Amino acid sequence: MEVGAMVPSRPWASPAQRLRRVGIGLLYGALYFALSAGALATMFPLIWMILTSFKTFEEANAPQIVWLPSALRWEAYRAILSRPEFLRAFANSVFVTALAVGGTLASITVVAYAFSRLEWPGRDVVFILMLSTMMIPPQALIVPQYVFFNKLRWIGTYNPITIPGFFAGGAALVFLLRQFMRQIPKDLDEAARIDGASHWQIFWHIILPLCRPALATAAIFLFVAHWNSLLQPLIYLQTTSLYTLPIYVTSLVNPQQTVQPWPSIMAASFITALPLIVVFLLLQRHLIGGIVLSGMKG
Amino acid sequence: MVRAYLYTLIWAAGTVVFILLCSLAMGGAARLLAKWRGLSRNRQEEVFAGYAFAAPWIVGFVIFVVAPTLASLYWSFTSYRLPAPPVFVGLANYLKLLLRDMDFRAALLNTLYLTVFGLPAQMVVALALALLLNQRIRGRGLYRAAFYMPVFLGTNAAVLLSWVFMLNANTGFLNQILRLSIKVFPPLRILMQIFIFVIEVSNAAFLGVQTGNFTLLQRVWQTGLPGPERVPLWLEHPLWIKAAIILLMVWSCGNMMLIYLAALSNIPRELQEAAEVDGAGPWQRFWHITLPLLSPATFYNLIVGLIATMQMFEQPYVLLRDRPTLAQAGHTVVYYLWRATFRFNEIGYGAAISWVLTVLIMIITLIQFRLERRWVHYEL
Repeated sequence: MEVGAMVPSRPWASPAQRLRRVGIGLLYGALYFALSAGALATMFPLIWMILTSFKTFEEANAPQIVWLPSALRWEAYRAILSRPEFLRAFANSVFVTALAVGGTLASITVVAYAFSRLEWPGRDVVFILMLSTMMIPPQALIVPQYVFFNKLRWIGTYNPITIPGFFAGGAALVFLLRQFMRQIPKDLDEAARIDGASHWQIFWHIILPLCRPALATAAIFLFVAHWNSLLQPLIYLQTTSLYTLPIYVTSLVNPQQTVQPWPSIMAASFITALPLIVVFLLLQRHLIGGIVLSGMKG
Repeated sequence: MVRAYLYTLIWAAGTVVFILLCSLAMGGAARLLAKWRGLSRNRQEEVFAGYAFAAPWIVGFVIFVVAPTLASLYWSFTSYRLPAPPVFVGLANYLKLLLRDMDFRAALLNTLYLTVFGLPAQMVVALALALLLNQRIRGRGLYRAAFYMPVFLGTNAAVLLSWVFMLNANTGFLNQILRLSIKVFPPLRILMQIFIFVIEVSNAAFLGVQTGNFTLLQRVWQTGLPGPERVPLWLEHPLWIKAAIILLMVWSCGNMMLIYLAALSNIPRELQEAAEVDGAGPWQRFWHITLPLLSPATFYNLIVGLIATMQMFEQPYVLLRDRPTLAQAGHTVVYYLWRATFRFNEIGYGAAISWVLTVLIMIITLIQFRLERRWVHYEL
């Protein structure tokens, strides 16, 4: 499918070849145009969000497009950042995400170690059982789990959205880590065993440091999932003071009004998106490279 | 605020202690069994470690998967509204759900619509982007990152508000730019009218099947091509809400694109060159070599996409939250599960909904795996 693969550039090219080269140049022009247009369209919701957050109320809701804000105004940011509810929602999101990601990451690493580097009777059966849980849609378990958490009096607390992760929630990520750990040569553990190291020491001092790339990938996936999580917080956090960012920011849209204060809403959206964007910009090369290399496993 | 954090932190610490105790107990029991079976000391140690390390998942599996599954299976046959205890009612929930609940039927058909039209649209765009990116170009990493970005942002309700803003029928960016481009280049108007007509007729037909009431379809059909000033009513009208959801789906196709890109880079170049020597044009090469060799990637995207579409929640939540009149035309099964169950604590009914959803996902996945052999080629 290479457009220009078959044309070697030769200075003595005949007119026909030269014509062909012009055609290929045009093809490349079209290719770049299509890619740039696609990239612009994909990024546009984000670009428009940022532009809007600097506009005035009138500019944002004008009947004709106002492309750029008439000045770089920080009012919307100042307004949203001076709201205690917004700051609280931000802190709540940080707390929930940090605790859930930390607990899940620690437990899935331990479990992946058991599935990849240790021999114990029943291991393969348990592993297949774990893989088969990937077939169960998480929503199917929400109703009975709600009853269970209700019995524990956990409704209206952060427990239901953080604590279950501590039990190695997320079979797909355990699988990812296990595949990674399996590639580490077995001689390393055996040599350490002969030197008298315990399994815990091998895990902590040998395997864990070697797994950093896979751990980073798992951490990114978990971070994105928890930062964006909506359904579970909606069900369990029933008081406004506990709301996380996605719930709080969507509640800024007031259905009673026909015109919304879009600049401040977009400022809130952008602050919510910012941690995602930063993580993405810092780690996208690592993440995308990993998915492209491992092909289907992503 | 601090109290809520502290409460959860204390519970978290307690959970860690609980998991450690479970690990030691499970590992200890396994070691005892290994000793009794006469294994060497070294093997005993390994068996202990194996069970101790795997214990967090095993315990979690019992508490959060096995017990809830069994409980919800029972509750789906009961009338159970918290805090009252469950009362056994047999198949009543399922009968009501499948035969009489029009909202559930609407949710099911909407999900079907999104699967049949949205998912292929998503996959075609992903494939097109991957093919473009697979050329010899500069700045590939940059383009790739741009296309992948919505995978991070696409399910965040706060970020999706940007779409709500852009899709506003009057002042939203999308309709503004459509109006502007028609003003600059008037021949586009007829294309726009045809687009609006096609979307409205097809959605009216679908709504007709859904509700058994075809008056809307008749009206749309008799009006014919819409007036020259008409624009899409993305979030304003039942005929458009599903198109808006599909737009959001297509926007976040970056993961599928990456899978296609990985598969494309695995196609041996010699194959393409050999076909070219034999006189195959670019279209023939795409149709007979590239596409069949991509079929495993297509299959993977199809399965993952099917499951994701069946479980869609964030997009309908953001688009429908303030538009209750559009709910029936746009809500998905999971959205309905949330609305129907947690507003009135209808546990029994909710359990039945989630079982229907689970069985549906399993049936569709199994059918796909059955059909796999017909069209997925692992080699040419």
